[in-house]
Amino acid sequence: MNSTGNDIVALGQTSKERTLDRRFYSQILSASERSLYYREEIPGLPFETFVWLLWSIKESVYKFQRRKQPDLVFAPTKITIQEINAPAFPSQVDLDAFHWENKSADRSSHFFTAVILFENKIYYSRSIVQDKWIASVVDKDDRFENTCWGVKEIEHTDHSSQSLAVREFILQKLSLVLPNHPGDLHIEKDQFHCPGLSSNGKEIPIPLSLAHHDRYIAYSFLLETVQPTVY
Amino acid sequence: MTRQEIIDELKKVLTPYTEDKTLLAGINEQTNMIKDLKINSANMVDIIIDAESKYDIEIDFDSAEKMVIVGSCIDVIMDKMNAKK
Repeated sequence: MNSTGNDIVALGQTSKERTLDRRFYSQILSASERSLYYREEIPGLPFETFVWLLWSIKESVYKFQRRKQPDLVFAPTKITIQEINAPAFPSQVDLDAFHWENKSADRSSHFFTAVILFENKIYYSRSIVQDKWIASVVDKDDRFENTCWGVKEIEHTDHSSQSLAVREFILQKLSLVLPNHPGDLHIEKDQFHCPGLSSNGKEIPIPLSLAHHDRYIAYSFLLETVQPTVY
Repeated sequence: MTRQEIIDELKKVLTPYTEDKTLLAGINEQTNMIKDLKINSANMVDIIIDAESKYDIEIDFDSAEKMVIVGSCIDVIMDKMNAKK
């Protein structure tokens, strides 16, 4: 069973003062991860942003693995970022255009990339760091060829509006990549609160992950498990 | 402190991080802060730090991961408070 995991952090909802409190960041970063910050590969990134970047990567790994282990508890310090690199050519992300979605031409050099170790398995991440938000996605394959992910700014920040908006956002994309699916596509959470895709009451085996924080919503899904002839 | 007294105090800790305050009235030991109270996971560290300050305790990494369920959270707080005595 394959999976995907993503996360988004609205930096306006975080407190710089609190994030810089050693008690706070020590609940997220290990000593070895703190030392990654001082390497020359991470130039110009404020430490508080670095903390939330690693948080978003770790939360993405947790969401990836939780699909396989529903009883998994998120413990940031048990997920180890072994390596992290800043983008050589940062993506120009303009959410004034309301949303961003990855394109096949995107290269790893456009993103922050990381190698992560969790429970003896290696994961890879890609992240976008902007002034107001950080988005991350995780895969077992560092090429991310089959991963689709997107970020969008929304107007209303109450939980039900966020939840509805992120479902509409991903379904809009899925309807484009699955043009021949029968019936309407739906997203429902299973008994373990993992989102799943279905159509006409039948499960569609595309792993997906949803995230929202304040005015930002984000999705990821993995296409490699789809058999096109089924649709 | 009794478990009920800790729940009552915990509601005050959770209030700034809970969008729908009416959900706090119904919390019990089985309540999951993220799934039931819709607290953003990014606020879980805030809650741990606030609980440390409120009860003058230190919550280690292994204990912190149990805090998402209210009953487990009370266990952690009581253990740490008893350890101080």
